[in-house]
Amino acid sequence: MPLVKGGPPKGSGNSGNIAPKRPTLASSDAESRWTAARALAGHAEAVPDLAAALDRETVPRVREAIMTALMRVGDRASVAAILPCLRSQDAGLRAAAIESLQALPDAIAPFLPPLFADDDSDVRLLATELARNMKASEATRLLCDLIEREQHPNVCAAAIDVLTEVGTSQAIPALENCAARFADTPFLPFAVSVAIARISGSEG
Amino acid sequence: MSGSGRPESRSVHIEPEEVQRFCEFLYRRTGMSFTQGKRYFIDRRLEDRIAATGSSSFQAYFSLLRADADHEIEHLINSFTVNETYFYREDHQLRCMTSSLLGGIVALKPPGSTIRIWSLPCSTGEEPYSIALWLMENWPQVDNYNIEIVGSDIDTRALKAAAEGIYGERALMRLSRDIVSRYFRPLGDGNHQIDEGLRGSIEFTRANLIDTQDMLRYRDFDLIFCRNVLIYFDDASRRQAAENLYDCLRPGGYICLGHSESMSRISPLFSVCRFPDAIVYQRPEADHG
Repeated sequence: MPLVKGGPPKGSGNSGNIAPKRPTLASSDAESRWTAARALAGHAEAVPDLAAALDRETVPRVREAIMTALMRVGDRASVAAILPCLRSQDAGLRAAAIESLQALPDAIAPFLPPLFADDDSDVRLLATELARNMKASEATRLLCDLIEREQHPNVCAAAIDVLTEVGTSQAIPALENCAARFADTPFLPFAVSVAIARISGSEG
Repeated sequence: MSGSGRPESRSVHIEPEEVQRFCEFLYRRTGMSFTQGKRYFIDRRLEDRIAATGSSSFQAYFSLLRADADHEIEHLINSFTVNETYFYREDHQLRCMTSSLLGGIVALKPPGSTIRIWSLPCSTGEEPYSIALWLMENWPQVDNYNIEIVGSDIDTRALKAAAEGIYGERALMRLSRDIVSRYFRPLGDGNHQIDEGLRGSIEFTRANLIDTQDMLRYRDFDLIFCRNVLIYFDDASRRQAAENLYDCLRPGGYICLGHSESMSRISPLFSVCRFPDAIVYQRPEADHG
């Protein structure tokens, strides 16, 4: 018989215990930092340490573990820890931050108005994605506030794309205004027409 | 509210745009992709869920779904997935195991060494027994290695049934009569019990995929079958599960997910490997980052 029974699993793996020692987040060894970050998943009291570690971490795998640990906490402090990554020059880190923050729709909501008012249009554009998993009514309100005053067509386009999926009929007046303001930017009125058709179709 | 049963009345009409909107949502949440060609399949399940939740319209239901009221996303996923399990399910992955994966796994292992395979969740045992049967029937090198198969699940009732190894005709429908006759014993009531030697060779244990401390007990697997479970988790839990699975694999080890699941949508930790029979995910040999 080639099949052998390995016996019940042991109390701990051969990789050693996950030591609940926060200092290992500052270890010079990436494996230790990975292990430490994973052990801190869901521990609200560890958010400041995780935030500091995320700020200085350069190893993608460890960064992922830190973000997962923060996501498992999922409170406003966790969101605040991840938000600076939206300004990173590293596209991978920005994308990872958006994915992480999208998973925390309730916690991210209070941060959206200041993000939508940010001086950096890239940050405003990325922030529209954070509304995608929010409640439809709240996402609609926040995104409509944005497109009513936003001057950058690409930011508006990003917001319209999200509204197309999650928007309610309350968005239609703001969408129409946006199309009128950007009448000279053909792709925006077109995007608005698609969004309104989708929203109207869904609610009609 | 219940996730089971088929409501009598289905009066809500669903527009094509609504189906498209719904399909986009379902894809983002689960990776399950449906086209207009599956309208009947989609409409029927959507109408059932609209009726089951007492929603007056698609829009009312969609709002409820997006808010995940009363775990509606789980009910919806249940209605869109085939929960029944059986021997040799998704056998293209078993074929991939013997035609592609094991060759790489044993390349650095001398004969006589151990290959560790994990089925998680194993439910009532069909999957780990299928792995064992497939190996014995299809892998010429099976006698050259010690093969440890572990089946784990969070449901202890399922584990008890797995250890007993008693199955009805439906569970055996993909097995040839020859295999059934050689590896199963008829019990006289329409059920069959799998060979005692096979039952004794597989370790069944309780494990919680998203409990990092619990998962510490599981290490050094060469191959993990983790099919049709991650779609039930929220994003944070999925990521934590992926990191746990990463630690449970040997460097270079493989993980097989369900047909509607994609590790690429969950975590960047693994490399995508496209083999002729299946797409699987690999823990990199060396951690570059």
